[in-house]
Amino acid sequence: MADEKRLLERMALTRALHLNATVQGVVTGLVTGLAIFIATNWLVLKGGEVVGPHLALLGQFLIGYRVTFAGSLVGFAYGFTGGYLVGYVVAGMYNWAAHRRERKRLGHV
Amino acid sequence: MTGEGPTEKQVVVIGGGPAGLTAGYELTKFDLRPVVLEKEGLVGGLARTESYKGFHFDMGGHRFFTKVEEVRKMWHDVLGGEFLRRPRLSRIYYNGKYFFYPLKPLNALFGLGFWQSVLIVLSYIRWQLFPYRREDTFEQWVTNRFGRRLFLTFFKTYTEKVWGISCSELKAEWAAQRIKDLSLKTALLSMFFKPKTTIKTLIEEFDYPRLGPGMMWNAVKSEIERRQGEVRLKSDVVGIKRTGNRIEAVVARRDGLEEIIRGTDFISSMPVTGFIKALDPPAPPAVLNAAARLSYRDFLTVVLIVNKPQIFDDNWIYIHDPSVHVGRIQNFKNWSPDMVPDPTQTSLGLEYFCTEGDAVWTMADADLIEMGRREIDRIGLARYEDVVDGCVVRVEKAYPVYDSDYAEYLSVVREFIDGLENCQTIGRNGLHRYNNQDHAMLTGMLAVRNLVLGQKNDLWSVNTDAEYHEEIREQVTDHDLEEVLEGALTQVFLKLDRVAMGLSFGLTAGALLFLATLALVLKGGHVGPNLGLLGQYFPGYTVTAAGSVLGLLYGFASGFVVGWTVAFLRNATVFLYMAVVHRRAELQALRRLLDYF
Repeated sequence: MADEKRLLERMALTRALHLNATVQGVVTGLVTGLAIFIATNWLVLKGGEVVGPHLALLGQFLIGYRVTFAGSLVGFAYGFTGGYLVGYVVAGMYNWAAHRRERKRLGHV
Repeated sequence: MTGEGPTEKQVVVIGGGPAGLTAGYELTKFDLRPVVLEKEGLVGGLARTESYKGFHFDMGGHRFFTKVEEVRKMWHDVLGGEFLRRPRLSRIYYNGKYFFYPLKPLNALFGLGFWQSVLIVLSYIRWQLFPYRREDTFEQWVTNRFGRRLFLTFFKTYTEKVWGISCSELKAEWAAQRIKDLSLKTALLSMFFKPKTTIKTLIEEFDYPRLGPGMMWNAVKSEIERRQGEVRLKSDVVGIKRTGNRIEAVVARRDGLEEIIRGTDFISSMPVTGFIKALDPPAPPAVLNAAARLSYRDFLTVVLIVNKPQIFDDNWIYIHDPSVHVGRIQNFKNWSPDMVPDPTQTSLGLEYFCTEGDAVWTMADADLIEMGRREIDRIGLARYEDVVDGCVVRVEKAYPVYDSDYAEYLSVVREFIDGLENCQTIGRNGLHRYNNQDHAMLTGMLAVRNLVLGQKNDLWSVNTDAEYHEEIREQVTDHDLEEVLEGALTQVFLKLDRVAMGLSFGLTAGALLFLATLALVLKGGHVGPNLGLLGQYFPGYTVTAAGSVLGLLYGFASGFVVGWTVAFLRNATVFLYMAVVHRRAELQALRRLLDYF
């Protein structure tokens, strides 16, 4: 039993965490989508003569996006999709690199 | 059987304490008829109940609680309704005051006084900031965790009374044994699950046989005999005959006569030092030498009968005060009212820790009783003249001593014993391991499974740690759920690979900046005035085709730094969190340190 515990602790000290790419993608997507959604609606509710000139620049990349309520929904969709891709890719690349480094440390490569 | 070669599996069990009797009891379940040899005139070993003029007393105090289901089942199968559920109260007597044990902060604060408490806190902080670099001794180990003042107040005197050596000579391993195997999983689970009320119950209440632990062992003896086994009292094993790696017989001395008892298999709970010494032909010199270096601590109980119906509410009191020799005082009536025949009287057990042959051990009983009367009066628990009678009971080899070299010597002895084909050692003294009653019993059970079922249980690894630490594990009711959670939590708390995180952030950030720049360049027109502002941070960066490549490099570099930093900070936070969790768990276990004596 003591050996099992030591094994566990050694594992915690030497092994690297591997990320779940889908979960990472969903989380990053939701955070990005919500950030654009909230930021857009904040400016819409705030109002004024020219609403959100700087945030509107996102429209250069996100076709159809504007600083309006409808635009916030479009922005959420773009944000979620883009965020999901970024999160998924980051996690995937991290896992790939971490796995290679771990194998190297353990002498398999 | 006696004097003849065995025709079937005939098991001889040496020792009629919890481990030996449990082994005997388990053997009868397999229709075997063991012979259990007990040196004393009554069974129970270190957990026996002695009697004097109708007063019963427990040697050392044995609470019946366990996390080992098989042990719990055996207790209740054997004694059934004879158990009482008793409240636990124990305090420390120090400097004329009483402190709850386990320690309670407010009680300690009021007891010690404001300034002393402040000094203790300051001392704690000082030792947290500048601890001993090495933790070789008990003194260093406790000081690093509690601070020096608290160590001096609550640990030093009592520990030295128990072991008879300075805390600066006692190995840290003794205390660390209970703490160091605290697993990562257990520590984590303890943070995620609040204790159930049953855990509190285990600490504040316990089961106790109506007439003390000896009642249990007498019942086990009767059960073995009912199933055709044999329990021979006053049978002192003085010789163990072997041929190579096989034990052939033991020589038992009873009423001055020696008898050879043959067997096919042997289970011994006698002190491992005596076991090695009794071998014939003798064990190799290195083994004999190693066994001779293992030592024990003994104690004696001075029982005082006091003409008072009630003296104090505690089951026992730790006496830390250096002005008296007594180390612990048991109030047997508070363990079970049936331990005392006359309700107008109370019996107290004053425990003096000593070493066989020393001045206290060899003192005449009358002198010991006189010393006990004076000390109980001095402490103020009972008046000298209220003590009307008394007796003395000596308990040999109560505690295996963990001195500086014991592990080395024990490993030599263990290697030799493991090489014996038909013999296993069990119990506290058979394994020279600080096992409590329930774990001693477990070694007996496992030894029988090894013998009868051919299992390969390692008896030396059954240890005392599980008792308190297992409490945390018990909090999760569904075993499968616990396993799944342990696995998941362990995964979550693995560290992030900093370089891998840096690479993934860097590549993603570089690619994003590259694509964003290129998209604007391809789109044409008044090209990216806002994205171009990045040039203020990234010298040379512009929203051009060449700038997109530079952006890729800048994105990679800055992303790498961010990713690496995120992983570093996350790992550091988890490490700190783990350190706090582990320290809290250590302190929880340490608060009950004295219960381990």
